[in-house]
Amino acid sequence: MLSRKAKESIKVALAMTIAYGISLSQDWDKPYWAGFAVAFVSLASIGQSMNKAALRMFGTLMAMVVALTFIALFAQDRWAFILTVSVYAGFCCYMMSGSKHAYFWQLSSTVVLIISLDAGPDPVNAFNTAVLRAEQTGLGILVYSLVAIFLWPNRSVSAFNAAATELARTQNQFYQACLGLVQGQGDVPEVRRLSTTIVQAKTRFDQQLNAAEIDSTDVWELRRTWRRYQQQEMELMQALERWRESLAEVEAQHLLRLLPNLETFGAELDGRLAQIAQMLGDHAPDRVLQIQELAFDKDALRRLPYFDRATVVVARSNMLQLEQLTRALFETVSELKGYGTASAIPDPPRSLQSLFLPDLDRLANVIRFMAIIWMSWLGLIYINDLPGGTGLVSFAGALGIAIANMPQVSISKLVAPAAGSVLFAGILYIFLMPTLSSFIGLGLMIFGATFAITYLYSEPQQMLGRAFGLAMFVTIASISNEQSYNFLSVATTAMMFPLIFLVYATTAYFPWSPRPERRFVRLLGRYFRSSEYLMSTMRWDPARPTTRLERWKKAFHAREVATLPAKLGSWAPHLDNWALSSTSMEQVQTLMTSLQLLSHRMERLLGERDKPQAPFLVQQLLEDIRAWRIGIQTSFKRLAAGPAAGGTEVLRERLNQTLDKLEARIKEAVDNTPDAQYSERDAESFYRLLAAHRGVSTALVEYVDNAAAIDWAPWHEERFV
Amino acid sequence: MLTPVPHEFAIGGVYLPPILIAAFIGILAALVTTRLLNRYRLSRYFFYPPLVSLALMIIYTVLIGTFIVGA
Repeated sequence: MLSRKAKESIKVALAMTIAYGISLSQDWDKPYWAGFAVAFVSLASIGQSMNKAALRMFGTLMAMVVALTFIALFAQDRWAFILTVSVYAGFCCYMMSGSKHAYFWQLSSTVVLIISLDAGPDPVNAFNTAVLRAEQTGLGILVYSLVAIFLWPNRSVSAFNAAATELARTQNQFYQACLGLVQGQGDVPEVRRLSTTIVQAKTRFDQQLNAAEIDSTDVWELRRTWRRYQQQEMELMQALERWRESLAEVEAQHLLRLLPNLETFGAELDGRLAQIAQMLGDHAPDRVLQIQELAFDKDALRRLPYFDRATVVVARSNMLQLEQLTRALFETVSELKGYGTASAIPDPPRSLQSLFLPDLDRLANVIRFMAIIWMSWLGLIYINDLPGGTGLVSFAGALGIAIANMPQVSISKLVAPAAGSVLFAGILYIFLMPTLSSFIGLGLMIFGATFAITYLYSEPQQMLGRAFGLAMFVTIASISNEQSYNFLSVATTAMMFPLIFLVYATTAYFPWSPRPERRFVRLLGRYFRSSEYLMSTMRWDPARPTTRLERWKKAFHAREVATLPAKLGSWAPHLDNWALSSTSMEQVQTLMTSLQLLSHRMERLLGERDKPQAPFLVQQLLEDIRAWRIGIQTSFKRLAAGPAAGGTEVLRERLNQTLDKLEARIKEAVDNTPDAQYSERDAESFYRLLAAHRGVSTALVEYVDNAAAIDWAPWHEERFV
Repeated sequence: MLTPVPHEFAIGGVYLPPILIAAFIGILAALVTTRLLNRYRLSRYFFYPPLVSLALMIIYTVLIGTFIVGA
């Protein structure tokens, strides 16, 4: 019995052989383009492959139109032509890292470069080149699709159902672990582990949904409901995370005392999440939704200090939001699985983002990618007999767009796969191919080589080796009807790679140093500069209209603060051992967690700050909150200058003093004000604002504590990469 | 002092230019040097190590090409 790995490898090898066979029998030029299509669209299931194939085909067609337009417009002006092509490639690079259809943009850039370089110097044949590329790509995709459908078809639907059930189960476990914290019997490391597991389960679910929509009619027919479920899952994930964070601020016994029916309420939500997982596993639900209230014990609440009241109010409000979200999710899953219908929930309004917010890291990737294109293109123009010729520019561009979007990956990691692939393909080309005299022999060789590469590099983490292996095989073999053999073609390809890697290594310094620890510190500085700016915006009078520029800057910095922790997280595993000589990776991870917490707290503060408050409370406490804000702003400014510049003890003492003073002032203000001047709603709203302020203070102190534990000196030392 | 006469290298019947060999050895030597400088924390005395790295590659290539390989 063949293994799954062997079956998938046979499918790719067979598709590759048939694609070459058809292309050669029709006497089409460059049959390796069909080989490329087979090599790069073949994935684990039909749905995933079709999804990637569609992106490849549309990317190629788009590139065809763009390249022909550029050739038509600038055929007589070399510099204008290169400039427009590189600007378009840069645009694709920018779009690639922020798009759901990254492969479309990658292909669009790559094919524009290929057609431009093949047809640019020979505009008469430009149309033929572009059509040939589209034709060969279509052939490769068609052949692989047919092979994947008829030979051991592997549909995504079972993997999709498993991913959906796993996600729901993990969320249920996470909820139970958090509920355990409330009941004083939780395990904090287990909660953190489950929090990471949910993100991984959600990523798998998203990938499988994209694939299952294509190869399962059931999923396709219900695709809108599934997309709604996906959106609700995302909201639930965020709400669970906010709830978990709010639990760290509140004492468990306070919650149990102040919310008398918390246990019943918690059990109802637990039951709902368990039922969702059960329905996704195709089992009917055992129960129906029950309406739950989560009432306060108001007398007990009044006996608490103001900041503690605030944290209880926030924890309750988070739980009520969980109630709404689990209800919506339960109904959606009932509808998906035919156990009921969801109540008419209007689709959330599509947020039309009117402001363009540039992403600085994506712009940095664009600068590097354009530098790659220009360096290789100028090399082609000004250096005689550059190995590879136009192939060097298109290869540098094709691989460069992926490299530019993965700045964390060191170029040295590419050397071994590239050298191994050239050697393997070179041996076949020099020693085996000249002995072949018919398509039977050639077909067997194509089948055998493709099978060997895909079988040996079948794991997801081996994708780079597989991509290099297949790409080098089809490039160096250069199979055509008028086959010729020349050692120089292998030597030229081999010589091309050191030059391409030299370009990559040089451009790695554009625009910033590629050293992970340098990037890390730079991103931290950016994070605190944005935080400082956001804090400064809170001085604005809500009544004063803000200008468009102010709104744009605020939105830009809010996005920076929300996204930078994840970006820092992507650099953390690549930190140099030298920088970590006296720091453990756990310490860096703890720093990341506290930064993420600070981001969430900043986000919450911004949200609460924009809500209307009772005017008398604002007037009474304006000066004290201003003092708090300036204190935090100063700390952010110091941290922007250096990651360890916070001064833990001083900061903690100052913030505690400010919060104590604020607490006393609130008491004074509220005691001296008749109840008629503010409603219960005003009080709740004010508590939420207070909790948001204290949340930022505690998260900042936690961050500074964690940053002080790290030895930053080696991070700033100069090193050879 | 006499320097070696430039001549091509034949490896398995394939002729390689002397500058290629000199550059290859020069790059290897520069890599070894930078690793040693990193290891003994001497790299911190340089203002901008990437340029030092490039300079070392060129210096080694020229020296090896002139006095050893004959490029």
